[in-house]
Amino acid sequence: MKKKELKQAALGLLMVSPSFVLLLVIVVIPIVRSMLSSVTNEAGGYDLSRYAFLFTDPGMRANILFTLRVTLVSCALVLIVSYSLALYMRFSSGRLSEWIRKTYMIPLFIPGVIATYGLMNLLGNHGWLARLLLPLGIDLPRIVFDQKGIIIANLWFNIPFATMLLSSALAGIPASIIESAKDVGAGRLRVFLRFIFPLSYKTFLVALTFVFMGVIGSFTAPFLLGPNAPQMLGVSMEQVFGVFREHEQAAAMAVFTFLLCSVLGFFYIRNMAKEESGRL
Amino acid sequence: MVRLHKSLKVMSALALSAAVLAACGAKDDGKGNTAGGTASPSDASASPSGKASAGGTTEFQFYFTGSQNVKDLWDTLIPMFEKEHPNVKVKEVYVPPGTGAQPTYDRIVAAKQAGKGSGGIDLYEDGITYVTQGSKDDVWDKLEGSAIPNLANVNAATMNDVSNMAIPYRSSAVVLAYDSSRVSEPPKTMDELLDWIHSHPEKFAYNDPSTGGSGSSFVTTVLYKDLPEEAIHDSDPAIMKQWDAGFSVLKDLGKYVYGKGIYPKKNQGTLDLLANGEVDLIPAWSDMVLQQLNEGLLPKTVKLQQITPGFNGGPTYLMVNKQSDKKEAVYEFLDFVLSPEAQSVIVDKMNGFPGIELSHMPQQMQDKFKGVAEGFRTFNIGDLGTEINKRWQSDVAAQ
Repeated sequence: MKKKELKQAALGLLMVSPSFVLLLVIVVIPIVRSMLSSVTNEAGGYDLSRYAFLFTDPGMRANILFTLRVTLVSCALVLIVSYSLALYMRFSSGRLSEWIRKTYMIPLFIPGVIATYGLMNLLGNHGWLARLLLPLGIDLPRIVFDQKGIIIANLWFNIPFATMLLSSALAGIPASIIESAKDVGAGRLRVFLRFIFPLSYKTFLVALTFVFMGVIGSFTAPFLLGPNAPQMLGVSMEQVFGVFREHEQAAAMAVFTFLLCSVLGFFYIRNMAKEESGRL
Repeated sequence: MVRLHKSLKVMSALALSAAVLAACGAKDDGKGNTAGGTASPSDASASPSGKASAGGTTEFQFYFTGSQNVKDLWDTLIPMFEKEHPNVKVKEVYVPPGTGAQPTYDRIVAAKQAGKGSGGIDLYEDGITYVTQGSKDDVWDKLEGSAIPNLANVNAATMNDVSNMAIPYRSSAVVLAYDSSRVSEPPKTMDELLDWIHSHPEKFAYNDPSTGGSGSSFVTTVLYKDLPEEAIHDSDPAIMKQWDAGFSVLKDLGKYVYGKGIYPKKNQGTLDLLANGEVDLIPAWSDMVLQQLNEGLLPKTVKLQQITPGFNGGPTYLMVNKQSDKKEAVYEFLDFVLSPEAQSVIVDKMNGFPGIELSHMPQQMQDKFKGVAEGFRTFNIGDLGTEINKRWQSDVAAQ
């Protein structure tokens, strides 16, 4: 009996080991290495000068604030739009919602670079949109080469996935709950605030985490659509790494971005852990 | 969740087996190398007496990298050469861009350090960075006119720039591209250009210099505008103090360029603006403009103009591995590459400038480059280019 258990344990370890090794080699070791190189100063010693530069250099500080602003605005807009779409698809069964259901995933299947160039053609200074609006006498503000362009691209890239997550969560809410709440006289707002939102809150958090991480580390769209300065951290990181060849500085920026993401990751994991222990 | 785990496992298994396969491949490669290494000494001992095994054929390996058009070029040139020189075979090894330029160079150095001769790389093509790097590491062969007669066709000053360690066999230069339907008299000097930009606000654009050579060339040319002529061959950081005037010009220019301070990314970024008519004048790579004119991507009214003194031009170099034991054959090939006949192919295929002086080219070729090929300059400022980009980002972009 014992031997069999041992054998099973060994087999289990053996089966886990490939994914563990993969994780170790492509995630854990690189992270540790970049953390180490990010605390290496120019003289070769160890200190926090690379991080100090992040907050003292005016250009870099502007980059960080810009990244946070774009990320927060994008997250808010994506979640508002996605949640509304998901709610609409869940509770309405008209032809329009049918069409939305069929088409909202399309952006997921268009490669990022192509979509970005498409947006440039659409929203550029002499783009289609400007040409369409010209007869109406509407003059577009500058969208491409501006933060507006990045935010619009982020909406395009992130809404489908967030909507998919949220609508599956909403689909999981039993209709009986909502109906019984309505039966005892709860208004629409109340049903939403008391039942629907709490029941989909966890997925909402998952969606927020995904959008946040996707946007804060994005490169293609901000590189092609964004302004020259301030830059998103991803673009600036590439420049510092690839053009200026300051690998340690780029590592410090990467670790800083990682820390920003881990704040959100912390809430996410805590929430998941709460859920798990609640289930037991 | 279960399914996810499964797929993870499958993926990791795949990754592992791929790693194992790759390791095998590397081992094979190593074997091949050592085999070549052990074979070459005997070769070397035989060849000095027989002068590259007369009668038999010598095969040497030519490593190059670049876009598809570079591969097409060699696919045309090498058969032409082999037809004329049946005793030499050129084995081309194409390294797709972004995958192997650095490793190829590392192999050359590693083979030298390990005492294993050429490492199977006899001839190598790359930019100025590796010419300088290789001269420092002493891996390139010094090329002499006595072995390669056509070397006389190459501009002597250009050869001096690289201490005869490499052959600039083709180049392209940055020029002004303008839409002749809207610009009748393009600027001909840097000062005229700056005046033009001031008097035509938002009709000029140059790209972010860290993302493409044409913008970088514009920035460098402005910085070195009032510096002595020899400064463009100086990689001493002491000169950085003299950039101040240039940077203040660039800073001030920000108000007059496209979008009052928008610098598109990549060489193509400004070409797109020219193509859709948002700007009228840009610095651009001559080969990109000529190619896109051929393909109809740019309006037919787009024309080229070089300024004097010229923008930066960038040659691509061929370097001979000092450790190679097939130098005779390589020289024969290089001599062919520098012949007017081969150079004409280069001009046709790449829309680049010939590596040899224009006066040695057929008349129709000379006509093609009228007004453009004269007077581009080769900047050789080493690592200072990075410093320029850094300072541009903080002083000009983030002003």
